[in-house]
Amino acid sequence: MVGFETKKATVQSKKPTSEAIIKLEAVSTVYEGARRTAIKNVNLVVNRNELVYVVGPNAAGKTTLLETINGMLPTFKGKVRVFGLNVKTHGRQVRCGIGYVPQDFMVKPGEPYTAIDVVLMGRYGQVGFLHHPDEKDKAKALEAMRLIGVEELADKSMGKLSGGQQQKVMLARALAKNPKILLLDEPFSNLDPDSRGQIPTLITKLHREKDLTTIIVTHDIHHMLDQCNRVIVVSGGRITFDGTPEKALPLVENHPHTTSLEATHR
Amino acid sequence: MGLIGVFVVRMRLSAIGYSMSHGAFAGAALGVATATNPLLTGLLFASGTAFLIGPIADKARLHADTITSILFPLNMALAFVFLTLVPEVGLSSQVANVLWGSIISMTNADLVYLVTLFAATLALVYFIWKELFAIMFNRKLAEADGINTKPFIYLIIFLAGVVVTLSLKLVGGLLIYALLFNPASTVLQFSENMRKVVVASPLVGMATTVFGLFVSLFFDLPVGSCIVIVSTIVFAVALLLSPKRRRKEENEK
Repeated sequence: MVGFETKKATVQSKKPTSEAIIKLEAVSTVYEGARRTAIKNVNLVVNRNELVYVVGPNAAGKTTLLETINGMLPTFKGKVRVFGLNVKTHGRQVRCGIGYVPQDFMVKPGEPYTAIDVVLMGRYGQVGFLHHPDEKDKAKALEAMRLIGVEELADKSMGKLSGGQQQKVMLARALAKNPKILLLDEPFSNLDPDSRGQIPTLITKLHREKDLTTIIVTHDIHHMLDQCNRVIVVSGGRITFDGTPEKALPLVENHPHTTSLEATHR
Repeated sequence: MGLIGVFVVRMRLSAIGYSMSHGAFAGAALGVATATNPLLTGLLFASGTAFLIGPIADKARLHADTITSILFPLNMALAFVFLTLVPEVGLSSQVANVLWGSIISMTNADLVYLVTLFAATLALVYFIWKELFAIMFNRKLAEADGINTKPFIYLIIFLAGVVVTLSLKLVGGLLIYALLFNPASTVLQFSENMRKVVVASPLVGMATTVFGLFVSLFFDLPVGSCIVIVSTIVFAVALLLSPKRRRKEENEK
């Protein structure tokens, strides 16, 4: 695995360390109009190497939570620290270390970008102002594509790819920067049935091998529950459940939909 | 002009382009009315408009297009008010120049400005290509990857203002924006490679300008109008031939 700092000896699942990598203290977002669900008084600590599932009904504030963590919504009350840095003042540095895959991102046919262009963009923040990406950056972008299994799409036009393929390319883009944290917003929504099996396994593997702190937002809790070490339920902009998958599992089994899971915790 | 046009079109700043070109127009009109250098006042107005649009849109949480729609008629109104203030009849040809443009009245100095500007724009685009490319793809994602997008967007708006002002003499205030958008939109109908778009767009711009010039000389029609008509026809033909449009229709069937 050229280009990635892979530790082959540590393939076995590691226990999360107690080192806090993401810390939210009494965070409330300022209302920004109807397009954003506000989050209210959220306290959250995510330790290094945790794999966290964030579930909850639509418009519960899940995406808002993710974009508060990477500093893309800079107007909030409270404190957000990532890598020990304040995201309000060090947002750019923080984002260079976070791979983010937004929800429902689709490129229209005919847009003038190839898949490798898109993956390479993931490295732009690290390349630095006035510098151009070099061969090393391209090698890392290709390596990320190989890891996701989309390297043969590299020179294809992004808009001509299927929804599932685009989603994998976006995942490769997030990985191309060698992130320490991976934030995935509904990463399984557009996948075809084959990839639905592959991608969760792949994410788990990446998480284990690369020390990736991973937060996955989804409305469908069924995909990877046995491999994650924590489930958070967000509802109405608040965290209504935060615990182990073992505790979440019976709730989910009794109530197959997360909406009902949230209802039991009101 | 075609070069900056690519970024303006791709970053969906078209309305800002309109607004700014009319800002330049209003400024130039003021210049003529007060007998100062129309180039200077045009530049002031265009960049003033540009500087207003970006931050106002950010602050007011309105789409930049909304702000533009307000500033655009304001600038047009100002331009006409300034033009009625022009004192002497002898200046009316200058008024016509501002309105319709006049390639004949271009001085060597104008030419030097334009060439310098083109070189500067080319160099700038080379150095910040990475950022522009990512922002054109998706501003939010560029931001998520650690690029501070705001300064680059303001820079493109400002550059568009300068380019528009300096090109004002070519086709005049009423038609200027056609030159900003037509070449870029034409090339975007065909290419799926952004680098090729950036190279081809200025070439298409130049070709249509030269062709328009010949049409104007041949039929003895106003230069600016001919250039705009030619470039619009080229765009219409591109639209008809576009493989992208055909594909879209197939998809809709």
